[in-house]
Amino acid sequence: MRDTSAPALAAHIRRFTYHGDAAPVLGGISLSLAPGTLTAVLGGSGSGKSTLGRLLAGWLRPGRGGVMDGFLELAGTRLEFRGTPGDPQIDPTAWCRRIGFVPQDAAASLSTVRATVAEELAFGLENLGTGRADMLEAVRRVASLTGLDQLLDRDPARISGGELRRLAIGCAMINGPAVLVLDEPFASLDADGSAALTALVRSLVADGTAVVVLTQEVDALLHDADHCILLSNGASVVEGTAAQLAASGELAAAGVMGACTGRDGSAPRQPARAGQAGIPEAGIASVPAGLPALELRDVRFAYERPPARRRSRRPAAGAANPAVLDGVCLAIHPGEIVAVTGPNGAGKSTLLRHLNGLLQPLAGSVRINGQDIAGLLPGRVAADVGLLFQNPRDQLFERTAEREVGFGLAGGRAATASVRRALAAVGLAEAAGTHPAELPASRQRLLALATVLARQPRVMALDEPTVGLDRHGLAMLDTAVRQAAAAGAAVVLVTHDLAYARSVAHRMVRLDAGRLHRI
Amino acid sequence: MRLHPLTSLAAAGSTAVITTAAACFPLSVAVGAGAVGLSFVAGVAHRMLPAAAAVLVPLGLSLLVLHGLFFPEGGTVLAQWGPARVTSEGLQFAVERVAQLSAAVLALMLFSFSVSVPDLVAALSSRGVTGRFGFVLASTLTLVPAISVRVQRIRQAQESRGLLIRRGWAHRVIAFRLQAVPLVLSLVDEAGTRAQALEARGFSSRGPRTSYREVPDPPFQRGVRLVLLLAAVAAIAARLGFPTAGA
Repeated sequence: MRDTSAPALAAHIRRFTYHGDAAPVLGGISLSLAPGTLTAVLGGSGSGKSTLGRLLAGWLRPGRGGVMDGFLELAGTRLEFRGTPGDPQIDPTAWCRRIGFVPQDAAASLSTVRATVAEELAFGLENLGTGRADMLEAVRRVASLTGLDQLLDRDPARISGGELRRLAIGCAMINGPAVLVLDEPFASLDADGSAALTALVRSLVADGTAVVVLTQEVDALLHDADHCILLSNGASVVEGTAAQLAASGELAAAGVMGACTGRDGSAPRQPARAGQAGIPEAGIASVPAGLPALELRDVRFAYERPPARRRSRRPAAGAANPAVLDGVCLAIHPGEIVAVTGPNGAGKSTLLRHLNGLLQPLAGSVRINGQDIAGLLPGRVAADVGLLFQNPRDQLFERTAEREVGFGLAGGRAATASVRRALAAVGLAEAAGTHPAELPASRQRLLALATVLARQPRVMALDEPTVGLDRHGLAMLDTAVRQAAAAGAAVVLVTHDLAYARSVAHRMVRLDAGRLHRI
Repeated sequence: MRLHPLTSLAAAGSTAVITTAAACFPLSVAVGAGAVGLSFVAGVAHRMLPAAAAVLVPLGLSLLVLHGLFFPEGGTVLAQWGPARVTSEGLQFAVERVAQLSAAVLALMLFSFSVSVPDLVAALSSRGVTGRFGFVLASTLTLVPAISVRVQRIRQAQESRGLLIRRGWAHRVIAFRLQAVPLVLSLVDEAGTRAQALEARGFSSRGPRTSYREVPDPPFQRGVRLVLLLAAVAAIAARLGFPTAGA
């Protein structure tokens, strides 16, 4: 058992300012994490949660990453910072040996040079010189706890977003750190993954680990929290138990969502129905007549064998890759919103990439407004289909938000107006000149959404659009989706957020074992 | 039998050394043909041959021009333009050097395209090579595929917003100008993030490292490596002792 008399980690941040910034990004925050406790740091988009997490975890070091006034105390050693050249330096290796961290972008924590999930898990242990027998045991144990048992031989570059997050969590905890900092750990996780992570965190806390969860949603796990802090504009505004925070009435204003009352803090919304905002009736019970905006007919798809592992170009008999899509049929009519759910790694993102021709089915067809898009260039299909990628960083490549949204538009006044409208719709009108990489993750997702909205596509394909969004962001997404459907767009929405899916979709389907099943 | 990566490295290296030292045209042709044949067996020909062509075609042409036109010892003149003379001996010499160079390049390329990089890094790590060197080696050998994946992501993002890129590598090369700047910026951005992640996972620690991946190294293969090494040394010694042999 660990010593419970001293905090595993303590911090007092009077001020922290990024180099080049005039105003501090954090201020007036005090934390003391006792072993075996769960601390929740809540806050909306841009509240400073991720900066705080990176600072505590040693990923953002005072002096090198910014100027700090305050102290950090780890395992009884206090480092005082005054923002002067004489400030102490954090040894990242020693610091990170005691603190595990899972960043919001889970892929950012991986080494990228390990060939399998098992080796990626073992990377930190290898660097510590751990014996192989102990490594094997640790990998087996952590894989079991994080649900990675069946993925140990897979290439980390070829696993799904939810699986990647579980891998990042496994990498952070495998060294047995005294403190574990998790930034939006439930993002992209399916129901089973979320339940497993909740159980895992409870077990770590019971074993003496001090766990910090940074999140913008009050969920079941956070009701266990020993201490909660609500951040707004980089400062702590309310502290106490989850119940005390809920009673303060500050959560909604800060953009935090509450799971018990629906993601927006109110009663769960009802799906859009006929007569509301001009949205036509849809759903399983009454299939609309007319030509579907999007139709998949018996679509089949399997990925090629990874080139690095391929010993021969000829596939061995009986060793064909399993089908990711195995006879998928789906029809979505104009104005209809359909939510696609399913476990991590089921092939939901793969399905969406078929809608604009980025992937071609091995059999079957994809039809947009009745036209088979086989052989059409994705750039041509993009006139009708807008795709929001699962990871906004895969979607954003321009130098400013305005250029990003304007990419591919014809130009002229109409395009300029369209760009401004799309940026305003996602609350980024003031950030038009900002580099996309400088935006917080939630705003990057909204910017990616704006790139889709600006094109006013007839089919909108959105991959995990709610991940990382706070209450305000979700409201903007919700409005955009409903308005697009009201204007006649067919919307297909891949998500693990069942509460939101139920509130907005006319019908829901589940992708499992390569096929779509009605829910 | 699966070859240990150091055995593959020793085989490729000694083949290149012996072929170069022997300077024997039939041997060079046989080694080059053997390397091409093995690339098909290993399933890497579709990647290796274009890369080999990119290296060997300009090199080969320059050797042909240099020795074909300007070979002082050449006596049999086939054509002449002022001081430049195409001689039979010059062409023969150039062809032999091209064959010699091709054999060495193809043998080494076969190794680099067919070796399992994780196995090679693990094998080096178990022999005390530092983690940093292993990481740099792995990053270097996987750099082209990594950049290719990144370019593909950017291209797909652009295509999803209406950029028309016709199928075929030539069109992709032309369209690359639109992906070059985002590629460089994203690589720079990622390098900073990756450095943080590596430090956080103890990559900078100075103590001894271990390896999760086990690469079997049977005693027979160790013996083979020793023989290959001795053969390469013997070939160099023979070349130094008999400098005109094979020339």
